[in-house]
Amino acid sequence: MKPLLEIHGLTKLFGSGCGHCLPGGVSPEEGNRCGRCGTVVGCGDVSLMVYPGEVLGVVGESGSGKSTLVRLIHFELDATAGEIYLNNGKEDAARENLLMQSPFRRRQIRSRHMGIVYQNPWLGLRMQVSSGGNIAEKLLAAGWRNVSEIRKRAAFLLERTEIPVNRMDEPPANFSGGMQQRVQIAKALSNNPQVLLLDEVTTGLDLSVQARVLDLIRNLQRELAVAMIVVSHDLGVIRLLCQRTIVMRHGRVVESGLTDQVLEDPRHEYTQLLVSSQL
Amino acid sequence: MNLREWMGRKKRDGCGNGPDYSFAFLDDVSKREIRRKILKAVAIPGYQVPFGSRELPIARGWGTGGLQITLSLVLPEDILKVIDQGCDGSVNAVNIKRFIQAVTGVRLTTDTGEATLIQTRHRVPEEPMTDAQILILQVPYPEALREVEPSERVTRRMHAEADYSRMWLYLYEDIVKFDEITIGYRYPVTVNGRYIMDPSPIPRWDIPKLHMAETLFLFGAGREKRIYAVPPHTPVVPLEFEDFRFRVENFEGKACARCGATDTYLDEIIDDATGRRLFFCSDTGFCDKRCGE
Repeated sequence: MKPLLEIHGLTKLFGSGCGHCLPGGVSPEEGNRCGRCGTVVGCGDVSLMVYPGEVLGVVGESGSGKSTLVRLIHFELDATAGEIYLNNGKEDAARENLLMQSPFRRRQIRSRHMGIVYQNPWLGLRMQVSSGGNIAEKLLAAGWRNVSEIRKRAAFLLERTEIPVNRMDEPPANFSGGMQQRVQIAKALSNNPQVLLLDEVTTGLDLSVQARVLDLIRNLQRELAVAMIVVSHDLGVIRLLCQRTIVMRHGRVVESGLTDQVLEDPRHEYTQLLVSSQL
Repeated sequence: MNLREWMGRKKRDGCGNGPDYSFAFLDDVSKREIRRKILKAVAIPGYQVPFGSRELPIARGWGTGGLQITLSLVLPEDILKVIDQGCDGSVNAVNIKRFIQAVTGVRLTTDTGEATLIQTRHRVPEEPMTDAQILILQVPYPEALREVEPSERVTRRMHAEADYSRMWLYLYEDIVKFDEITIGYRYPVTVNGRYIMDPSPIPRWDIPKLHMAETLFLFGAGREKRIYAVPPHTPVVPLEFEDFRFRVENFEGKACARCGATDTYLDEIIDDATGRRLFFCSDTGFCDKRCGE
């Protein structure tokens, strides 16, 4: 099977770099910050593949580059180096490194083939615009131009994410944290994305709400068979959702493999520390 | 000292009595700058080209963008018409007209058909225009996305990436709230299938006249320092949904109380004495023509 998303040598340096740390940032042994020029490795030489319908977990402590990785894939940050390929399912489609495309083209790809859910709903939603409007924005970006069809689709998605449809025209600012997160998920799924990026979606929610959101994500994933990248520092979330997992530290991938294998039999000492520190 | 006397007064250096200014007030370098930016605007329909807006003897925001375009294009043989919301005789139009005539000596007219250069504020003439004419529109706010995004830096990026979903969202929310698109004037249009453009505060009535027209339309915003253009035969499509179509103002059952026209954009006027509602053509030149004056 061909991978849906291919990433090779993705690197992001924050800072100008110096003779000591260029081209790829300081060596992993030194950490993630160059002692001479202060350049930080947000993401260092990360390569990964996501296959159709697969859920890939990304774990690591805060500051390990998980969110940077997701934002690079979502084209919110400009990568320093690397290649990203997205297979659109057509056999004869040209293989193009998305990082070399124009911002115009990248935006098109993002609007049509990607969805993202942030930890903080304020990043993913317009709080003063109606919930239906938030979903509509994504559909409008993907080229929908029929109001009743947009509303039908928005109502369908809100129903699926357990938001009462009669609250469709209310702004998310009126909603609880868990509901806002579900609106975000509805928005992210509205354009039938090929890849869904989930960045710490349950962090900050209380346990029962966490469970409902995770349940929802798992059900939707089974049903729509959408490929996902799930970023979390919560190993429980990773265990529940992901088939494969990569472990990041100092912006680098230190270990990768099947989730069970990584969590039950960690090889790298950092992963061992991570697993053993779980309460 | 009136304008004409002042223009023709003895020069400061005492060398003769000629006018103190170049033809059409602006110096050659300024004209060249503005013409270059006009060419760029014509080459990229709907794109706002920044330009070095000059100081003029009228305040910025009072038509200086249109005026600078007019001054840099006008030739001695041109016939000029200036209108303000359709009216040839309102203060803004008359002032601009008199100024241009004082610095160029061109002939003035109120007849759309006769004019070669028409500067206008907030209306497109009713009479169809030809490829021998240029319409110059004064623009207060050139940025169509300003309603949804206050930052100029961000709106420029949005234009570059054709990131227009927020403008569409604005229309969508309008429909959700009011069951119709409530934008009355400055209705956003897509030019040549690419840029969303502010057509200046013309009524919706005038939008279809921009589409695939014979005439060159130039837009100038002096205070905001932007020039943009709709060249002849360019598609200009108002933003609309498949089930919520763009529509022009409805004057059904109403007619101009003066010329009887039923196919023009009408102004509603309430008679102070009788309190009666009357409708008149907004385009006074066209109304006069119909009345045979």
